[in-house]
Amino acid sequence: MPIYKYRCKHSADGFDCGLRRSELAKFIFLVGVAGAMAIPSPGQSAPSAKPKSGAPAAVARNWTPPKTAWGDPDLQGMWPNTDLLGVPLQRDPKMGTRALLTDAEYAQREARAKRSDEGLNQKYDKLDGPVSTGSPIWWIEHGRPTRQASLIVDPPDGRIPPLTPEAIKLAEARDAKFHLTYGAERKATGSNETWIDDVLALEDSYDSNIYDRCITRGLIGSILPGEPGGYNQGNQIIQAPGVVVLRNEMIHEARVIPLDGRPHVGLSVRTYMGDSRGHWEGSTLVVETTNFLGGQVGLKSNGAGTPYSDALVITERFTRVAPDTINYEALLNDPKTYVRPWKVAFPLHESPNYQMVEYSCHEGNYALMGILRGSFAERKAAEEKAADAKADARKAAQ
Amino acid sequence: MRVKQPDYPTLAAAVCVCMFLGALPLGAHHAFAAEFDAKKPVRLEGKVTQMEWINPHAWIHIDVAGPDGKVTNWMVECGPPGVLLRRGFTKNSLESGTEVIALGYQAKDGGFRANASTITFKDGRRLFAGGSNPDLPENQGKQ
Repeated sequence: MPIYKYRCKHSADGFDCGLRRSELAKFIFLVGVAGAMAIPSPGQSAPSAKPKSGAPAAVARNWTPPKTAWGDPDLQGMWPNTDLLGVPLQRDPKMGTRALLTDAEYAQREARAKRSDEGLNQKYDKLDGPVSTGSPIWWIEHGRPTRQASLIVDPPDGRIPPLTPEAIKLAEARDAKFHLTYGAERKATGSNETWIDDVLALEDSYDSNIYDRCITRGLIGSILPGEPGGYNQGNQIIQAPGVVVLRNEMIHEARVIPLDGRPHVGLSVRTYMGDSRGHWEGSTLVVETTNFLGGQVGLKSNGAGTPYSDALVITERFTRVAPDTINYEALLNDPKTYVRPWKVAFPLHESPNYQMVEYSCHEGNYALMGILRGSFAERKAAEEKAADAKADARKAAQ
Repeated sequence: MRVKQPDYPTLAAAVCVCMFLGALPLGAHHAFAAEFDAKKPVRLEGKVTQMEWINPHAWIHIDVAGPDGKVTNWMVECGPPGVLLRRGFTKNSLESGTEVIALGYQAKDGGFRANASTITFKDGRRLFAGGSNPDLPENQGKQ
């Protein structure tokens, strides 16, 4: 059955939108799975082991992780990453190999979160003053700030490793296509990112990134704390014999992970979220994901950052170290894009009261239309300015 | 193809304003600069005509009277319904006719759409107040 999606282009007549056929079988499958899994998660009644002072999670001594009725380690529950909001992916280079904030740095992070909370409930008395262009504070959902200095824990400096020559060539081609200056910025700052999230020179809706198009944030972008954004950060783990399902609230992902040792699908099958296979190593769930569609999503929050290649393999480890804490880590190995593998790691804390709400992202995605209209308006203004300058020059020459 | 580079002075100013207001300097689902114009601040005072309870962002429609008395219907972008629900709001929380003030920035194409950093009742109380963190004591039992 043909599925249609909206596509808009700039044309001589202005703004032209039409319906194009496209395959969205994966979407239908995931909607079905998400619907089937819309069951409440069992809450944990054990006392909280969640660190109160922002300290990193430690393995609880003399504590045995619970088991499911069929004998697997039980990871089920609601595990939002709201505590991690404000932890950058890459560490401030000034911090070197220091993985945790100092007391003073942590106090600043904590104070910022507190100001945000207090601001919400204060009357606003500058009703004609300047306002922020960032996410309004009432959109942002944060938990208790942590002391973690960066989400990247390896390399030890917490920085994304250098790009391969092949990846640099691709990044430069992208910069050239969109007339961006990030190449210079990359060289100046060593950021190793191509800022896939910030392309503003759009020709049509397909130039917009897949997050703006409400498709996905990619596998790793779906579990990293949302920055920019900072909302809808729910993760839920559901288990059945031989399978684990990982749901991410953004953008309503439901990854079904078989545990029965079956091989990955053939190399010709490529998807944004890849093909996951899991197994247990003691009480740790190990998930290896391959078959990614390269060049589409970045390895950063919201699917931004430097696009990865089809050689990417992500190995995730989920270890429940306390009744309300899972230590999560993901090793990202893409030899075509980065000169060495790198790893993100952080604790996820259970929040039984967290309610995930269906994020039917394209339901009213006016933003995509607004972004295109903005892009076309800017281009029109630039064209008019150029035409005026040309007319002025002609007049001056006469 | 048009040439567009990031507007660093505007971004820097935005970060400063965010810090001043105590907000976390984050972007939205989509980049502010792609859709809205930081050089077009707007103050929209009027009555709510509709709450569009849709993803990825809810939108409030407001009738705003201009200096000449002409009324224009503006669309103001809000957070996602999930966030609003976790803050204790529903699609019926905001009744048509409620008088509000939205402070934000107009769409780049000059359309009557705006993002709004701040939406308040006329007396300055925040429209969408309340915390979303279910672990905080003040929010226990809210959902």
